[in-house]
Amino acid sequence: MTTSIFRVIWAIYRKDLAVWWRNRVSLAASILPVLGFLVVQAVGASSVGTSPVALVTLDSGSAGQQMQQIIHSADVFRLTDATPEQAQTLLHDLRVAAVITIPLDFTQRVQAHDPAPLEVTLNNLNLDFANDIRRAVPDSITQYYAAQGSASPIKVTIHETDLRHQDIQFFQFSVLPMLVLLLILNGLVTSGIAAAREWESRTVKEMLLAPIPGEAVILGKVLAGFTVTFLLGLLILAMGAALDWTRPVGVEWLTTILIIALVAFMGTGLGVTVGAALQHIQPVTGLSINVAFYLFFLAGGIGVLAFEPDWLQTVAVFNPLAYGVHALQMAVFYSSTDQLGLDVLVLSLSSLAALGLGALSMRRGIAG
Amino acid sequence: MNQLTYDLRVIWACARKEIKSAFTERIGTILGIVLPVNFLVLFSLFALNGGLAPTAVVMADTGPLAQQFYQAMARAHSFRLQIAGAQPAQALLQTGKIVAVVTIPANFDSSLEAGQPVQLGVQINNLNTDFTNDIRRAVPLSISSFYAQAFPRLVNVTADEHDLWPQDTDYIPYLTVSILVIALMMGGLLQSGTASAGEWEKATIKELLLSPASRWAIMVGKMLGSFLMGLMSTTLVLAVLVLVVGVWPLHWAEVIGFSLLTLLIFTAYGTLLGTVLKQRQAFIALAFATSLPLFFISGAFGPVSFAHIPLIEFLAKIFPVYYAIVLQQHAFHGFDLNTLGVGMNVLVLLGYALILIILAAIALRRTTVSS
Repeated sequence: MTTSIFRVIWAIYRKDLAVWWRNRVSLAASILPVLGFLVVQAVGASSVGTSPVALVTLDSGSAGQQMQQIIHSADVFRLTDATPEQAQTLLHDLRVAAVITIPLDFTQRVQAHDPAPLEVTLNNLNLDFANDIRRAVPDSITQYYAAQGSASPIKVTIHETDLRHQDIQFFQFSVLPMLVLLLILNGLVTSGIAAAREWESRTVKEMLLAPIPGEAVILGKVLAGFTVTFLLGLLILAMGAALDWTRPVGVEWLTTILIIALVAFMGTGLGVTVGAALQHIQPVTGLSINVAFYLFFLAGGIGVLAFEPDWLQTVAVFNPLAYGVHALQMAVFYSSTDQLGLDVLVLSLSSLAALGLGALSMRRGIAG
Repeated sequence: MNQLTYDLRVIWACARKEIKSAFTERIGTILGIVLPVNFLVLFSLFALNGGLAPTAVVMADTGPLAQQFYQAMARAHSFRLQIAGAQPAQALLQTGKIVAVVTIPANFDSSLEAGQPVQLGVQINNLNTDFTNDIRRAVPLSISSFYAQAFPRLVNVTADEHDLWPQDTDYIPYLTVSILVIALMMGGLLQSGTASAGEWEKATIKELLLSPASRWAIMVGKMLGSFLMGLMSTTLVLAVLVLVVGVWPLHWAEVIGFSLLTLLIFTAYGTLLGTVLKQRQAFIALAFATSLPLFFISGAFGPVSFAHIPLIEFLAKIFPVYYAIVLQQHAFHGFDLNTLGVGMNVLVLLGYALILIILAAIALRRTTVSS
């Protein structure tokens, strides 16, 4: 009897995988956008955090030249040296977000202790770029004074201590939440549609008429959905590691794979629940996308949850994806086991609950 | 009955059939209509923290200069400040509730009055460079603006800012307009693509193709039905953006016109993809999953040209999302995000619409021949 159940599970598992595998378009649709996103992130990474600026140096005096050199070496802008006319064209054509001009009499004013403003013409169409420039220009001015050493009139200096041993680039940081989104989305959509298709194409009748236990049908379908989603997760992790963006170290590989498996399991369980409950592909798809996106964004999205508003942090306490993202970030970036027990516990319970819901929904669907 | 009247009847019949079919799957239709609003709401969460880093200031000195420095930090457009004791600040930092602790030392006032150096302690939770670099630049900004206020004669090099626009546009008003385009894209794509692919999955396309109706008329009718269904989600998403989020457009006519044009393009594109793929699962996966990369490359956060990456600019300009974002930013805020001008951007989008409609019709004809 046990052997027979395993054979049923194996047959349904193979059938669902074969349907997925034969559907090459779906296969490509699952993988290509992920590749596309990673490429976009990789290419765009170089422009994040530094704004494009044109620098016009009208002063050939010592202070003017020193300021020009410091602005160049400050690493806070993507600079283009330009004449006033070129700078205006660059600003007009949206090639730069601002023009910084070191005026003709800059050195003279500095030496005379008169106010010596740097002229900043700013395309303030968006606060993100505008504030970056507003922070970066004073940063350069501070560096200009710091270069004067003990003669500097600015006596306030900064002693920086970092909490973590390395900085993580923003694009690297966003890969893991995106991985979690893709896991939950693929789990929901793939399993949901696989379940709903049985009703839409009426193949569920054949299963009902067959002398096989319902539990075996459910388990076979869940395992097939889990395999597809889990493999997709591993593929993204491998690509991240190959590019040196998200490469866990040592035992953290196991932790990372465990978390990916748990999120994939939860997504699959939820997918089967939705698919068996709605029994039609179109509503299943709509609901799955909505659920996946809500879970993702209410877990903090690609931002840092701790820095989001209080209400969002409160909501995230009840969102298993927040625990998944946290566990992955700790394992991959910081080799840390901070709250790992809690993260794994919440994800395991959520996966079991999702699987239970899926089984219940499938059983009710079959019985109906 | 002449051919034109007959074709018009076919178009209307196909459009009505699309709408009736959509309403038979009520849950799916409601979700499809609400989905763009969900996109708008959820993507807006990107902007919720507004770029302000939660920061604790430990004021070991409460003298007038220390107070002035705190005020300079508050004016830096970079921090969400709270004053805390040294130990509570550490606890907040360690538990990830804040991104930095700035400690103003006990000798701050006395050292500055004596012309002696003084060191600010800055502890950063360097989780990612986005927040970390903001802090690294915002503290010097606070120092220089503090000096400009407290010791204007000592520090004479300052920044004299001239803005191109009379007022700054905040994160949410800017980003939500870009998100509107993505929402319209998803609304149009899903409505038309699932309907088209569904005809093949349920084999109901056979009846349409066996009828004496022209393929063009069938295709236009199907698109019209999906477009009319898409209008519901367009109206809803615009209402939420204007009435709930509070982003009031400068040019209402442009908003309506550009929204309809965007919806038309993606209705045609969805019909084309649905006809080619013939499977709802594949179509939905492709349509949905391309939305995220498109969102990032199409200038949602700022002008694409600011990236200075030719590949990104090239990719962005291949897709109509880029032109639609440029036009909607003009309609809502009056910005010109490329040098083509409004008219040329509209022409480009009209070109996309025309080409996609023609391609969708060709796809249906070719499929008919090969089936």
